[in-house]
Parts: sequence; C-alpha cells; structure tokens
Amino acid sequence: MAQTYSGPGVFKRIRDDYFSTRLNTVVTLGFAAFVIWVVWSLFGWGIQQAIWSPADKDHCGHGSGGACWAVIAARWRLIFFGLFPFEEQWRSGIACAAIVLTGGLSCVPWFWSARRLSALWIIGFAVFYCLMRGGFFGLTLVSEQNWGGLSLTIFIFASVTLIGMPLAIVFALLRQSRLPWIARTMGVVIDTIRSLPLLSILFTFAIVIPFVLPGWMIGDKLYRVIVGYALFFACYQAEIIRGGIQSLPAGQDEAAMALGMSYWNRISYIILPQAFRNALPATINQLVITFKETSLVVIIGFFEILASGNAAYGNAEWNFAHVEVYCFVGLIYFTFVFALSRYGAYLERRMAVVER
Amino acid sequence: MTNSQSAVRISDMDKYYGTFHALKGINLDIAKGEKIVICGPSGSGKSTLIRCINRLEEHQVGSINVLGTELDDNLDNIDEIRRETGMVFQHFNLFPHMTVLENCILAPMLVRKQERHLAERDAMELLTKVKIPEQAEKYPGQLSGGQQQRVAIARALCMKPAIMLFDEPTSALDPEMISEVLDVMVGLAHEGMTMICVTHEMGFARQVADRVIFMDGGEVIEQAPPDQFFDNPQHERTQAFLGQILGH
Ligand SMILES: Nc1ncnc2c1ncn2[C@@H]1O[C@H](COP(=O)(O)OP(=O)(O)OP(=O)(O)O)[C@@H](O)[C@H]1O
Ligand SMILES: [Mg+2]
Repeated sequence: MAQTYSGPGVFKRIRDDYFSTRLNTVVTLGFAAFVIWVVWSLFGWGIQQAIWSPADKDHCGHGSGGACWAVIAARWRLIFFGLFPFEEQWRSGIACAAIVLTGGLSCVPWFWSARRLSALWIIGFAVFYCLMRGGFFGLTLVSEQNWGGLSLTIFIFASVTLIGMPLAIVFALLRQSRLPWIARTMGVVIDTIRSLPLLSILFTFAIVIPFVLPGWMIGDKLYRVIVGYALFFACYQAEIIRGGIQSLPAGQDEAAMALGMSYWNRISYIILPQAFRNALPATINQLVITFKETSLVVIIGFFEILASGNAAYGNAEWNFAHVEVYCFVGLIYFTFVFALSRYGAYLERRMAVVER
Repeated sequence: MTNSQSAVRISDMDKYYGTFHALKGINLDIAKGEKIVICGPSGSGKSTLIRCINRLEEHQVGSINVLGTELDDNLDNIDEIRRETGMVFQHFNLFPHMTVLENCILAPMLVRKQERHLAERDAMELLTKVKIPEQAEKYPGQLSGGQQQRVAIARALCMKPAIMLFDEPTSALDPEMISEVLDVMVGLAHEGMTMICVTHEMGFARQVADRVIFMDGGEVIEQAPPDQFFDNPQHERTQAFLGQILGH
C-alpha cells in the first residue's frame, strides 16, 4: 500500500518554530501583542471611528479620533483627473482605463510578438491621446497643460517605458559594439546621464531645451519631459540589459552564428530573450522605481497624482485631511507597484518551469 | 585552379590572437565526402583551426576556401559558408529557452526561409535519425548530456550542410553517453557526409576516418590514414602523444 508522507501537524510545527525555548516564547508573544495593537489601532482609526460621508464632514477632526475619508469622497475626482475640465472627466477616466488595459494585455503571453505588441500599444496610445486631447467629433480641446492626476501619471509612465525600453536595447547593443569608438562613446553617454540626478535632466528638457532647439522641434513641455525621462530610464535599463547579455555563455552566439543566422536574428531570437530572462528581476525593479519617480514632474509644473493629492486637501475646507489623502494616493501607488512586482514573480516562475 | 572535388582548402594560413601565433602555415585539402579526425595536445590549435573554417575565428594570413567560396571579409561569402557548414560544440550550446523542436527549426526558417511545417517535418525526421523524436517538445535542460548532443547534431543537420565540423563532441559527456553520440556520427559518416572532427576517440578515428591529422604548437605535424597513423607514426611528437593517450 502506498503511504504518503504528511509531515508534522500544524500545531507541532508552530510549537517547534515559535515556542521552542523560553526566550522564543517571550519574543513571539511580545511581537504578537505589538502587531495586534498596531492592527487594532489602524482598524479603529481607519474604519471603526472613520467618517465616510461628506455630509458628516463637520465631525471630522473634532475629537472623533478617526480618519476622515469624507475628503476622498468629496475630492476623488481632483485626485484622479487633476485640472481636467469637470464635465469632460469621463474622457480622462476612459483614457486612463485604456492605458491600464493595454498594459494588462501586454502582460498576456499571446501578445508577445513585436507586431502584436506594437499594434496594441499604438491603439492604446491613440485612444488615450484622442480622448484626452479631443478637439474633434465635438470633443472639446483639452491641452496637455490641463491633463493631470492618475491619468497623467500613468501616461508618463507608459510613454517613458515604451520609448525607453527600445532605446535601452539600442544603447546596450551599441555599448557592446565591436567598433571601439562606438562602444566607448556610448559608454561615456550612459555613464554621464546616469551620474546626473533625474531632476536636473527633467529641468534641462523642460526649460533649457527650448532655448537651444529650433522652434518646430520643441513640442509641448510634457513631451520634452517624457523624452528626457525616457533617456534617463534607457541609460539605466541599458546597463541592466547589458548585464543580462554578458551573463550568457559565448557559445550561444557562436552556435547561432554557426547556423548562419544574421546579426539581427541572433540578437532578437537568441540573445535578447535570454538576456531579458536573466535581467528580469532588475528590470521589474527599474520599472517600479520609474513609476514612483514620475512624481518628480510636479516640480516642472505638472499636476500628476501626488500634486493633485496636495490640491485635494489644499483648501480651507479640507486642510486638516492630508494624512487621509496621502494614504489614498499611497494606496493607488501600492496597487500598481504591487501588481507589477507580482507579475514579475509570475514571469520568473513561468520561466523557471520552462528551463529546468 | 580550385579542385572541384575539394570541400575545404586551406593554404598557408596563419592565425594570431593578438601577438600570439596560434596557427602556423596551415595547408590542408579536404575532399568532398572525406572524414578527417584532428587530434593533438591541449592548446595545440585544434579548435582554432576548425573555428576558422566557418569564421568563428578570423585568420590573418593565407586563404581558406570552402566549397569554392573564398572566406574573406565579404559578408555574403561568410553567410554562404556558414549555411553550408554545420557545427557541433563540446558544450552542445543548445538554446535553453526553446524546445528541442524549436531549436531545430529556427535556423531553417530564418536562414533558409523554409516554411514552418516543412521545417518541422525535416526536424522530426532528423530527430528520429538521432533516436530522440519523443523529446521534441522538451526543453534542453530536461535532457541528458548525450541527448542534448544528439539534438545539437540534429539541429546542425536541419540546415542540410555539406560539411560537418565537430569540436570534441564527446569530451563533456559521461562515459556511458559517449557511444550514443559516436553511433550517430558513425551513421553520418556512412551516409557520405564530409566530416572534420576534433576528437580523442581513437576507436572512432580508426573506424571511420580517412585521414588523421596530428597538431602541436599551432602546426600540422603529421597526417596519415588511421592504420598508418596509429601503427606507424613517423614523427616523434606524434609517437609521444599517442603513447600518452593510448596509455603505453
Ligand atoms: N580567444 C583567444 N584569445 C587568446 N588566445 C586564445 C584564444 N583562444 C585560444 N587561444 C590560445 O590559442 C591556443 C590554441 O587554442 P585552441 O583552443 O585552439 O586549442 P585546442 O587544441 O582546441 O585545445 P583543447 O584540446 O584544450 O581544446 C591556445 O594556446 C590558447 O591559449
Ligand atoms: Mg579545443
């Protein structure tokens, strides 16, 4: 008869792991008490004693002791859509959803071919741009200066990644070039940009570039900032990709060469797929940082989600409610970053299955 | 003047790694259908020599002509030669992110512009020939060393090369897997493939080689048919080498 090994029972495991000595028991109980206290306090503040409806707003901050979520109920549209004209905010909402959906779809393996991905993103961005900017079919024109909130944050993030990623690949390949002067020049460019603070790059592109470039090349400030940010992203990501490429055994490229494959075929079928696998954790990390640092564009005068959060409590009526607003904005950031890192973990698991 | 029966013709070829003179005045004429075994001590330039034939390494002096195509800086010539030569490496070098079948059909589809279903049909035929058709959907990491090397041979054959280059195909294998790879190579030899093998498998050399070449210090020291090479080596360095590997 087949016997299955079931391991020690749950109780025994807990006892062995957490209560094996007197010191362990003390530490376990002390820490458990602390956690319970924190959770209980948060629960009391955030839920039990919280005020939810803007109608009860007068109770907020007057000894109720709870969070005033009423500010979110009253001001969520400002947080999500910034200065976008109030009656048109449905456009911003749909546009935002379109980009998120596009991002979500491009995580599905079926879309993983250059043609499908580019088609998907062209459609995604076209929908976003037409809805946001309008100016046809009776949609009123809303210029980039009035875009804001979550839609703007996501737009900046998606564009930076989308411009930055191909650029990063090109940079990484150029830095690996067999012609020393190309490799060295690229190395200097990458190292220079990486040694500058992101803020100074954003400033340069937003404010200095217009003085330098001819008028027709300037474009809206938003796009200049995106290009600058994409360049910055590309330099970091290029080094990540290069690391991924260098960790491949030389035999991979040699085998592909011996089969007669051209440079571009070797790069796109053999080298990059494996390099990206190796570089996946670092890439996800870089994407998370990039998403969070979109908040720096506030300083250039954009109204992304953190700035619109500031505005949400920045009037006499709600000026006590900054903690609640920051919690809410933090939760939004968390949702995206957490989704991203879970997706990264899923990819790693998927590849581990494939390769061993 | 090129002999139309020549598969590979190397004349006065020198190869340098920086200032290091790795191959010195190599002259070699290999006929179509001929089986060559190259042996020699470690560092003698065996790998370098066969890697020069498909331009994984570049030679600096002299000429290499493969099936009538001159190996020079003309990229079209290099591509042409690589299409006509298959190579099998010591460490297999299969693409770990692709299944066995994908490994086999990739180059035929990209380089020979073969349609997928035809490439797959040919690949399955060759996988059957190396006796692992049932592994087609697996990934290289799931196979044993001997199986991986047989896949590598099938992958090279899928390009329908006229010449096969082997660089110590069995020396990374556990002893019990060596014969399954050598069997495939013997089969290939019997079909008339032109083969250039760097190997120390002397049994294989005796069985299939038309000529055994001994290299040392970047030079071809001696070449002879296997019987003569093993039983009556002329050069003392050859004698010393054979003494070592045959354990006299
Ligand atoms: N990329 C390289 N750069 C510099 N020197 C090299 C390089 N590759 C090989 N060499 C040198 O060239 C000589 C010949 O090397 P090669 O690999 O052809 O020897 P081999 O006969 O194949 O030896 P083994 O039996 O160990 O494989 C060696 O001295 C080696 O150190
Ligand atoms: Mg070698």
